[in-house]
Amino acid sequence: MINIENLNHHYKNKSQEVLKNINLHIRKGENVVLIGSSGCGKTTLLRSINRLIEPVSGSIHINGENILKMPIKKVVRIRGKIGMIFQNFNLIERDSVLKNTLNGRLRHHSSLNTLFGRFSTQDYEIAKQSLKRVGLEDYENERINNLSGGQKQRVAIARTLSQNPDIILADEPVSSLDPKLMREILELLNNICLEKEITLVTSLHFLELAKKYSSRIIGMRQL
Amino acid sequence: MLKKIKQNKYKGLLIGILIIIIYYWAIKGTNTSPVNFVKGLPFMYDFISRMFPPDFSKLGLFLLKAIETLQMAIVGSTIGALIALPLSFLAARNIMHNKFIYHITRTFFDICRGINEIVWGLIFVSMVGLGPFPGVLALAAHVTGALGRYFSEAIESVNPETIRAIISTGANKLQVIIRGIIPEVKPSFINYSLYYLENNFRAATVLGLVGAGGIGMELLTSMKLFKNQEVLTILIIMVLMVLLIDRFSAFIRKKVLKLEKIE
Repeated sequence: MINIENLNHHYKNKSQEVLKNINLHIRKGENVVLIGSSGCGKTTLLRSINRLIEPVSGSIHINGENILKMPIKKVVRIRGKIGMIFQNFNLIERDSVLKNTLNGRLRHHSSLNTLFGRFSTQDYEIAKQSLKRVGLEDYENERINNLSGGQKQRVAIARTLSQNPDIILADEPVSSLDPKLMREILELLNNICLEKEITLVTSLHFLELAKKYSSRIIGMRQL
Repeated sequence: MLKKIKQNKYKGLLIGILIIIIYYWAIKGTNTSPVNFVKGLPFMYDFISRMFPPDFSKLGLFLLKAIETLQMAIVGSTIGALIALPLSFLAARNIMHNKFIYHITRTFFDICRGINEIVWGLIFVSMVGLGPFPGVLALAAHVTGALGRYFSEAIESVNPETIRAIISTGANKLQVIIRGIIPEVKPSFINYSLYYLENNFRAATVLGLVGAGGIGMELLTSMKLFKNQEVLTILIIMVLMVLLIDRFSAFIRKKVLKLEKIE
């Protein structure tokens, strides 16, 4: 499913490498946790998979296609099948829960339809089902800035689910939540990925959580 | 450590002296004098006392002219905002990676904004003649520059992580702007536009002084003829109109932005 070979990256103006010769194979439906201290390159690795970051060298094959060598138009299409969950939720705070969830359906629409906010009945159906799956069906008209941290992360998961993804990349999805919510969110994410056979790659800080909520742990260290 | 504290102390002293020199230079250059101000108070009292009671004999005409000024402000602000809105994306560094287009758009905004409304008024009066139309064009030109700059800065201040989240869903660039950036900058856009509507009403008044129509022309005529009681009537109308626009802006803000009260 995901095959990473000889991946290297360093940021501009910084000579120190963030990723050095990374080789990793992740199978379909696998639940992998990347663990390591802050700054060890977990986020960089995750963001290289959907090319939010352009690594300096190496290759990342997704279903046999090297995403790093693709034209950007094709990358945009592939991104539609790779959901991403962020540490700080990254939702549109002033928009409603439903509107944020519908953002997961953007790749199925033209720019013109997006401009006029036109989504199909099927899109609404999928978005509402996603919200139901994360337990927020009664909150669809609520504004994001009225929600708690745990609810916000559930909306972010619902947005990702609306994409109908093959892969979910979760970048420290529970770092800004309290211990009880951490377990709730990871449990939810794991169950969804198991049900739908979604490949899940999560970065975490805590070994205990990684052990409980993964099928494989990959340790990373700062170079 | 001690050396560093001493160095910082001298640095602070030097900055203090520099500030005093700048203020002395500016005050001297502008003949700013509290003594002259106090000496002038009786003249001010005399001028104000000659304004009373206000003369309402031309109230109908003044109201019509005030409405014309308001119309100028509405049309000028709207045209300016409509031009500034799309262009501001070309002048935002996080959206526009082509440096040439970025700098050209920024320079265009700087030129529009750098030239005062009155100067624009003089230019457009010579182009299309006297009346409110050159006033509208003058306001639109200035507002394009001012709003263009504010809009582009609002776009630049959008959290890049929010933009990345929309990109990660497989959205194209235009969709990222529509669903990721516009909802985030909408409050700033509305606030700046309403502020400029209010500002343009005052600017439109001054534009009348250069022949660009509106209540400003009436104000100039009354002042030239020393009809101080008429001047007061015009000033009352202007203040009331500004208050009205302010209330209207507050209403729109409340409705559109759905402001929450802090308990």
